[in-house]
Amino acid sequence: MSRLDATDIQGFAVRGYNFPFARFLFLKILEGKKGRAWLGRLIAEITTGERWDHGKPKSTVNVAFTFKGLEALELPMASLMSFPVEFVQGMKARAPILVDKGRNAPEHWDVVWQGEVHAWVGIFAQGAAELDRRCLELLALEQETGGVENIGSQDAAALQINGQITSKEHFGYTDGFGNPEYLGMEKDSQPGQGKLTEDGKWTPLATGELLLEYADEAGELPVAPLPHLLANNGTFMVYRKLHQNVATFRRYLKEKGKLYPGGEEKLASKFIGRWRDGTPVELSPDKPDPAIMNDKNRNVNFTFGKDLEGTCCPIGAHIRRTNPRDAFGFNGRVINRRRISRRGMPYGPYSPEDQPGNDDGEHGVVFMAVNASIFRQFEFVQQQWIEYGNDARQGNDKDMLIGNHGGHGKFMIQGTDDPKNPPFLCGGLPNFVELRGGDYFFMPSITALRLIAEHAVDPR
Amino acid sequence: MPNKSGTIYGLTILSPIKHEGHIDTSHSLAIRKYLHKLPADGRGPFGKVSSTHMARLVVLDDVEYFGMPSCEDHLKSRYLIFESNFDGELETYLNDLATKASEEVHGIWQHCIGYPGVQNVPAFIAYMKRCQVETTFYFADVNDKTVEQTLVALQRQSAVASFIEKNQGKPPAELHRAFGEFWARLQKAPPPKPGSTPGKEFTDKLL
Repeated sequence: MSRLDATDIQGFAVRGYNFPFARFLFLKILEGKKGRAWLGRLIAEITTGERWDHGKPKSTVNVAFTFKGLEALELPMASLMSFPVEFVQGMKARAPILVDKGRNAPEHWDVVWQGEVHAWVGIFAQGAAELDRRCLELLALEQETGGVENIGSQDAAALQINGQITSKEHFGYTDGFGNPEYLGMEKDSQPGQGKLTEDGKWTPLATGELLLEYADEAGELPVAPLPHLLANNGTFMVYRKLHQNVATFRRYLKEKGKLYPGGEEKLASKFIGRWRDGTPVELSPDKPDPAIMNDKNRNVNFTFGKDLEGTCCPIGAHIRRTNPRDAFGFNGRVINRRRISRRGMPYGPYSPEDQPGNDDGEHGVVFMAVNASIFRQFEFVQQQWIEYGNDARQGNDKDMLIGNHGGHGKFMIQGTDDPKNPPFLCGGLPNFVELRGGDYFFMPSITALRLIAEHAVDPR
Repeated sequence: MPNKSGTIYGLTILSPIKHEGHIDTSHSLAIRKYLHKLPADGRGPFGKVSSTHMARLVVLDDVEYFGMPSCEDHLKSRYLIFESNFDGELETYLNDLATKASEEVHGIWQHCIGYPGVQNVPAFIAYMKRCQVETTFYFADVNDKTVEQTLVALQRQSAVASFIEKNQGKPPAELHRAFGEFWARLQKAPPPKPGSTPGKEFTDKLL
């Protein structure tokens, strides 16, 4: 296929910015005409997918809308009715199929998600002062046009440990590996990132797995709103605020680490499938290896086909569940339509490793993911691979790290005769992670933003 | 024989539904209404006929028309589709249906052409066999284990997982003794009831 028009695609859709500071504004659109006037002026601020040949900008701005938001902006009924049903319903209504129940149920979500969020404005910045400056500019724009109201915001930032900006999350793991590559995007190719070919090489996924109006892995066009220009170069975003029970996690790891003959750190690596520094367990089962971890040709470049028994990387390990690669056979073809691109970022202060940490307080990960079909991609992964284990032949077991276990979960670590790598069972799993809110968003192209702002969306 | 995969029988029955002209509720509607009211758990008819792995009842209105250039085609009547995977032989299973779930079987099949009732069991079996469609491609969604073997296996898997969780890391002698006792209790345990899920409550009693 020809190269994509990066200037028409929102930058957030095609790349993780990897900036240390971010703020997500949640807006309500007060009135259609003024709301569109606000959007019309916001477009000039939007960061596109253009290459940063002359260096990274100091900050970025992107925007996405819930279904209620598009309604408030007065899209024509024929366009509104053409959106996929899961997006129309929103994440709260999808709670039963996402297993968002118990402590994860919508009634326990943050106040902002109890109301109607219409728009998400995401600002990423290189520095804290720049973040504030850019946000003030955006607030001034909101006030000048009077079309929208801020009903909440969420700060996020790379974790600082001993004064250093890191790519860790609160449980101590290095995060942010392994987003898929897509056809037509200019990006340095990294083996392990796309899909597997017959001869065991990696190639990019079809563009239609990420962007609307392009062929997907089945050679079909993803379900998309009408008209073509509203959908083209757009994508859907899932936003989930995931609180992390750091004290519970550290206590559980310590307790089981005493029983596990490989020790605490090895146990931690079995949970995820990566050592806490990021080294894939599949490539280095006995110890973290900076030579692998720092080599971008190796740190996501592995398969599970030779480890079907899970004696290196457990079958239920987090990265193996959520991206099984070739573990289900057929050269990995059965998973190519279940990939998502993650854009997550931690929030809240890090508890130093030598402390017990807290369950209370505000800290976790803002999970954001973009995909062409929330139903086929994100929701499938969440329901079948996180909250259920049958595809991985792990019965009713849920994802060790983010499953909604309610205290009854179990996680089997497959092993060998080696006394340092025996089989081990982790039972009585609590919820290490809790959902605190979120929703489904449509992230339109620049062209579509302009059509919406000018009230010129014409589905006829 | 394509109807069987190992010891599991794959049954398909197509029973034509009556089409009387001057009634308020058509027979196919009456079947749908009756099926809708049946409990979906172990209290339903297939909980009573415990050799059933899975079963499905569907009212088939007609063949679907997909538009040009396909030709428009119709069935001579509406059909009740009954599909079931069960343990053992067909006649035994049909006999169980007629005797253990007679009320529900009658409630459903009374709306079908040629249905002789369930009181005369041999007549019922003969009728069902007349309606049978040979299974030519068997989709083995259950392995070659009976319902009871499957439930016992699930129960044991769950109990063994709980045992490991409680005892892993103990000295070999202690582990050996604990396992011996656990194994003896496990073997004496009654199999779980059909339709039940071997849960934590059950395995806790075994530990």
